[in-house]
Amino acid sequence: MASNSNGSDVLGRYQVSPLRMEIDRFVIPAVTIFIALLLSFFMLFPLSAILKLSFFKGGEFALSNFTLDNFQKYFTTGYTLRALWHSLYVAFTTTIIVTVITFFFAYGMTRTTIAGKAFFRNIIMMPLVAPSIVQALALIYLFGRNGLITAHLFQTDWSIYGPTGIIVSEVLYCLPHSYVILYTTLSAVDIRLDEAAESLGATPFKVFTRITLPSAKYGIFSAAALTFNLTITDFGNPVVIGGDYNVLATEIYAQVTNLYRFDLGATISIILLVPSLMAFVLNYYISRKSFSMISGAAKPVIPPSRPLKKFGYTTFCSLIALSIIVIFVTVVFGSFVKVWPYDWSLTLQHYQFPSIAGYSALWTSVWVSLVVGIAGAFLTLVAGYVMETRKPFLKQFVYLLSVMPAAIPGLVMGLGYILAFNKPHYFFYGTPWIIVINIIICNFTLGILSSISNLRNIDPSVEEASISLGGDTFRTFFKIIFPLSRVAFFQNFLYFFMRSMTTISAVIFLVSATVHLAAIEIIMLDNDGWTASANAMCTCIILIVLAMLGVLKIVSLKTGGGMKGLTAEV
Amino acid sequence: MSKKLILENVSKHFGSLVAVNNVSLEIEPAEFLCFLGPSGCGKTTLLRMITGFEEITSGKILYDGAVINNVIPQKREFGIVFQSYALFPNMTVSQNIAFGLKMRKVPQKRIDERVKEILGLIGLVGWEDHYPSQLSGGQQQRVALGRAIAIKPKILLLDEPLSALDAKIRIRLRTVIKRLQEDLGITLIYVTHDQEEALALADRVVVMRDGEFRQIGSPWEIYKRPKTSFIAGFVGTSNFIAGKKENGRVRFGSRKIAVSGIESIESETVYLAIRPENIDMLLSEDLPEDLIPENIIETHVEVINFLGAVVRITFMLEDEEMLVDISEKEFGRRNLKRRDPIRLYFPPGAFHIYTERFRKLI
Repeated sequence: MASNSNGSDVLGRYQVSPLRMEIDRFVIPAVTIFIALLLSFFMLFPLSAILKLSFFKGGEFALSNFTLDNFQKYFTTGYTLRALWHSLYVAFTTTIIVTVITFFFAYGMTRTTIAGKAFFRNIIMMPLVAPSIVQALALIYLFGRNGLITAHLFQTDWSIYGPTGIIVSEVLYCLPHSYVILYTTLSAVDIRLDEAAESLGATPFKVFTRITLPSAKYGIFSAAALTFNLTITDFGNPVVIGGDYNVLATEIYAQVTNLYRFDLGATISIILLVPSLMAFVLNYYISRKSFSMISGAAKPVIPPSRPLKKFGYTTFCSLIALSIIVIFVTVVFGSFVKVWPYDWSLTLQHYQFPSIAGYSALWTSVWVSLVVGIAGAFLTLVAGYVMETRKPFLKQFVYLLSVMPAAIPGLVMGLGYILAFNKPHYFFYGTPWIIVINIIICNFTLGILSSISNLRNIDPSVEEASISLGGDTFRTFFKIIFPLSRVAFFQNFLYFFMRSMTTISAVIFLVSATVHLAAIEIIMLDNDGWTASANAMCTCIILIVLAMLGVLKIVSLKTGGGMKGLTAEV
Repeated sequence: MSKKLILENVSKHFGSLVAVNNVSLEIEPAEFLCFLGPSGCGKTTLLRMITGFEEITSGKILYDGAVINNVIPQKREFGIVFQSYALFPNMTVSQNIAFGLKMRKVPQKRIDERVKEILGLIGLVGWEDHYPSQLSGGQQQRVALGRAIAIKPKILLLDEPLSALDAKIRIRLRTVIKRLQEDLGITLIYVTHDQEEALALADRVVVMRDGEFRQIGSPWEIYKRPKTSFIAGFVGTSNFIAGKKENGRVRFGSRKIAVSGIESIESETVYLAIRPENIDMLLSEDLPEDLIPENIIETHVEVINFLGAVVRITFMLEDEEMLVDISEKEFGRRNLKRRDPIRLYFPPGAFHIYTERFRKLI
């Protein structure tokens, strides 16, 4: 060797540590088993507890104990049975309204040349930063029994409580989720198809019905399925604005908390699980198919829209944006007003929370969310890496476990946690840690899916290059994969952080006399009549989430990784 | 110093698909070996089995006499250069080159020396603090090469390393690779679908098709004596003629031409291959006596492709398009134009005779 002459032979003494390589063999199987066990223990086990309690007498698993009594009781009691019809009615209505609105909104963003798109896009994402209760709180301030518009402007007795209130608040809550899917769909479909049809003499209406709608149909179904799932499993909005109008989610809570009927709570959980599972499976099936519809050559050049079209879409999008702004302004402004809607003088008194927890709940929420954010983002990245890149032996099983959480309503998972872990030897029960775990598991699906889609963008040769140079799993992950996934990590952190700050249904069963969370405090405060303070707590959460968003934007700008579509990702 | 690498009845099955079918080969130390074949012929799979990234379905791979089938890639100490370069985008040129040394816990001082040495070898002194995204494709591939040789690999494996680069840089990097291999005295295994590249670089070329080795030999052997009609068409360019044996001649259409060595062929139907440069163009006034009249063909120019030193002319023979190459000088002398009549001579010894059907590649 020519280079031998200058003494590089010394290199031969240095070799990849054999011990390290021996240990390395076990890293991937160990991590795979860890994730499988984690998901089994914190998802399958609680679910099985619910199944046991609903199908077996006294929750004792034995063939002789098998019973359908609970279900019979449910279906023969008029009041509880109505919850099912109520849920379906609300969910279906919301789904139709949301899908229509977001389709045209997304159409306006992708296919027209209206001004202010960035503004509209940011506004429609706003509901993500607040708990799914902010809509109900605002609507009550505006259209409630003592509402600014109903009681004072029009002096009518009509109020929004009941199905109307639930539907309106759910619509406003689901907008961003549905919009993201339809926006992706419509921007992926090749706009030149429309132009080609037009050049062949099709009228704009024909182009819309024959080209645009069919090419977006998978996205439309997918968005509808997601909205249905979100609505039927939501707890925050119906509990505040539903009044006597019970839905499945509120009924589970009522059975467990007010009547201590854990068995009926479990039974209703199973009944709630059926439609939400169906919507999830439908969505999963559809979103797989929709990939084939996406044209790689899709060009984002939009021909100038006609003035009338522009005017129509601007008006429509403005109205939607305005509704969302009104919701947020009402809640934030309401938290500073002395006595809404009588005494408009501004005050900070509502920020002196009258409940026991108050600010400590907020701080608990923040640190829990930070832990959830970091641990969740890290765990889903590791899991995604192991699944996608290393293809371990349990891949299919772990993948199935990873997508399951999205199908399970948070409330059901929470109830499962009580049933499964409320025993002295589960030391973490009753501590914030069970909440941390619960939130991570509940949101595991989206986290791992976005990790995987990010990892797919990394050239597999890069990983092989590292391995061929002697890189073991740990160092390959931390020196190569992790730095290359930084943007995805931030996005996932933000997603987990936001979910953790704003989720209600997942954790409502897990807060205790000693552990309080801000989002749950809102319900407690509202329940006890401190509506203005509930608004104040809501405002605090919104501000914290927005602050975190700002911090991450700055960090990502500083580190050079573009974080475009940060909010659009969640 | 590289040691002998032996493939012994190596096969790779993906389900029912046989990607590599029972191949055997001994690769000598310091040899430059090319696996050449069209896409899907199994050459990359074979390379990945040598690197350890693909499991071997059956057979053995031995290095220095020891079976390495179950040795993990990290421990094989083979340097790999990927088609996509696969540089670490989050690291500078120096950090990329140093990566393998860091993995081996080489002291920092030695790493610095070695990185410097490598930068010299690949001609990128002064670029050490650049990130891969700031380099051109050719420079990136040099870094990939440097990174692979920094660890003093036992063998260097290159998977279509130049196919993503433009023609000029490709040819320049060929020289870099060839010189580096000779200077380091390292065994180099090179995978490519580009026959020109394989012929230009390799000591030995292995032509692969359908997971099998079809011919192994020096570039000259492969070019001059292609063992199958596929190779005759894939390596370089060949004209193909399908005919029938008849009285010691080959009959196709209305012609009966003389072909050397046809007597020893058993089969009735034969497939002839002749390279464009082996067809002679006769001056119209030529009346050569030593030529076999049946092998002279009167035709005319269909298409002229000026390739530089060589001019490639398309003509028709029995409704088949065929090619003949003449030198640029000759072309200038004759002042040939489209539809000009030409007389061609097919020397009987210039044919390769095959008994299996050929697939037209042009």
